[in-house]
Amino acid sequence: MSFSLKAVEELASLHGEPEWVRVRRRASWAAYERLPMPSRSEEEWRRTNLKGLDLAVFEAWEPANGGAPADSIEDAAAVLRQRGSEPGQVDVGPELSAKGVLFMPLSQAAREHSELVEQHLFKGVDPERDKLSALHGALFSGGTFLYVPNGVSVEKPFVSQFWSSGGGAAVLPHTLIVAGDGSQFNYIDEFLSPTLETPSLTSGSVEVFAGRGANVGYVSLQRWGNHAWQFADQKVIAEQESTVRVVNVGLGGRFAKTRVEAVLHGPGASAELKGLFFGSGGQFFDYHTLQSHVVGDTTSDLLFKGALRDTARSVYAGLIRIEKGARRSDAYQANRNLLLSKSANAYSIPMLEIMNNDVRCTHGATIAPVDPEHVFYLESRGIPRASAERMIVHGFFGQVLDRIPVGQARELVESELEARLG
Amino acid sequence: MADFEIRDLRVSVEGREILKGVTLDVDKGQVHAVMGPNGSGKSTLSQALMGHPAYEVTGGEVRFKGVNVLELAPDERARLGMYLAFQYPTVVPGITMANFLRTALNAKRGYDGKDKTKAITPKEFRALLKDSMHTLRMDDSFLSRYINDGFSGGEKKRAEILQMAVLKPEIAILDETDSGLDIDSIKYVSEAVNALRGPELGVLIITHYTRILEHVKPDFVHVLVDGRIVRSGGPEVADQLETTGYAEWGVKEEPVAAGQLSGQEEA
Repeated sequence: MSFSLKAVEELASLHGEPEWVRVRRRASWAAYERLPMPSRSEEEWRRTNLKGLDLAVFEAWEPANGGAPADSIEDAAAVLRQRGSEPGQVDVGPELSAKGVLFMPLSQAAREHSELVEQHLFKGVDPERDKLSALHGALFSGGTFLYVPNGVSVEKPFVSQFWSSGGGAAVLPHTLIVAGDGSQFNYIDEFLSPTLETPSLTSGSVEVFAGRGANVGYVSLQRWGNHAWQFADQKVIAEQESTVRVVNVGLGGRFAKTRVEAVLHGPGASAELKGLFFGSGGQFFDYHTLQSHVVGDTTSDLLFKGALRDTARSVYAGLIRIEKGARRSDAYQANRNLLLSKSANAYSIPMLEIMNNDVRCTHGATIAPVDPEHVFYLESRGIPRASAERMIVHGFFGQVLDRIPVGQARELVESELEARLG
Repeated sequence: MADFEIRDLRVSVEGREILKGVTLDVDKGQVHAVMGPNGSGKSTLSQALMGHPAYEVTGGEVRFKGVNVLELAPDERARLGMYLAFQYPTVVPGITMANFLRTALNAKRGYDGKDKTKAITPKEFRALLKDSMHTLRMDDSFLSRYINDGFSGGEKKRAEILQMAVLKPEIAILDETDSGLDIDSIKYVSEAVNALRGPELGVLIITHYTRILEHVKPDFVHVLVDGRIVRSGGPEVADQLETTGYAEWGVKEEPVAAGQLSGQEEA
């Protein structure tokens, strides 16, 4: 079934969602029908080419399909496994349940914890922002809900693994994380599929609500196959004295557009936004980031690093916005790009909107090939050229790898990079 | 036949000929100094010998262990036993000195990530570093720093000699190793180089000044002016240069004996 109101209704029934979710899906569908395809005359899409994307070819969802790989992150508090578009399976042990932790498929949470979910779902991410956001709002399929109550710390990470092996369909998971006041935990979203012939449409949108004094780590490991068109909206709302660390790892997709936005909503809030992406072949990555300082005494620290090979391309656009009343805001933004071939290219567009003078704000961007002096130096010590380049790229990503809050996730990313650089 | 032979080496940079036929023999166990004024081609010689891609060899041969090394990639030259201590060691962010040294050692031992028995063990690695780090007055924290990142001029040069001590080359080229060094660093570096001297190592010290030669006594001294060796002899050649400078070859006012010790890093 292709994208239609009928598909929206059917999906809501399949997932057994309460009426209010269905009502919202319909509203998003109406927005989808109303909104035009994004056009390159809009600033955000100026360098982002949707040519080749035909929304009419996709099935509205993908049935569960087997063949999922072994768990890559084993030492976890709990792992939710989703196959295709269907609600995932998760086993939360008695210990976490006793603490009041809720970790389950989003549709189940909408039924069983309706009020909590209703308060937060799509209150961060805007489901009418553009046509593709609206599509996600209408047809999000599966996804995860995590709630960690006030004062609860969980040492091991929560993991959601979204696996797709169908091709030709939309796989649109949505992650909703609600961190109670003073809670502490890490969460990892892992998106993966083999590379297939038929294109698929994926998302991987996430909303993180960090309560007062919460300390939350969120990692997105995007390893969709190179047939996927990915559109994801990530939004973090950080309340007073909370700390949120977000790491985006972009490795997959033929086309991957991700918005990464943090709203510093309470004094003392701090957000660290890190990203690394590695593109080869004809891959395209687009990151639009926002560091929004709504109130003062807030900190944001952003670093996105990308390396591109072959004819891969990337666009990075980052905005720091500091509101009028947001005194003593401290914002940092850097985007570094390493071009590993002459045909690869990267655009970087840093932007500032500062309405207050009493702030610290720094930004910068670089786009450069591998420094031949670096290669020569390593070669002069007997290290073959290919290894030297691999080490340099790996070293280039080091600052971001260092910030992945979970050791196993870091190792996974390192071995993925190793394989891709191979 | 010498162990390391440079025959009529001609090198151009950006289309301009810098080395105009350099011939030099180095045997293992010997220390040679190549001295010359600014612009004589000293750095070109060292970079070309190691195979820097910006230096185009237009003629000549460099033979080591029966092969013309000019036909080898820089990493192959290194694995054959050549080493260059850089005048300006580059900063490579994100790669720790420990990782760098271990990878270089493993490359030399033929470890390519597969046969683990060839890889150096942490214990061996530590043992290998210990004495040299002590001689060079370097502490452990240095190993966890990124390659040359935030190193002082002296630390960079000491790190170059440390790498040499670890990799144990048979032909080492020291390019202006004394420039920019304070008196203590010169002492430590010289001590380390002297400790490495022996029948298995030939050294080519490339320098503008006689200063380092007071600590590391050369067996032979060659004078390079305008891309050619214009004089070769024993240590007395350096002594002469110290009094007369390079004036004999029409080079003006270039002190050969380094008067002041700091702040003479060449741009």
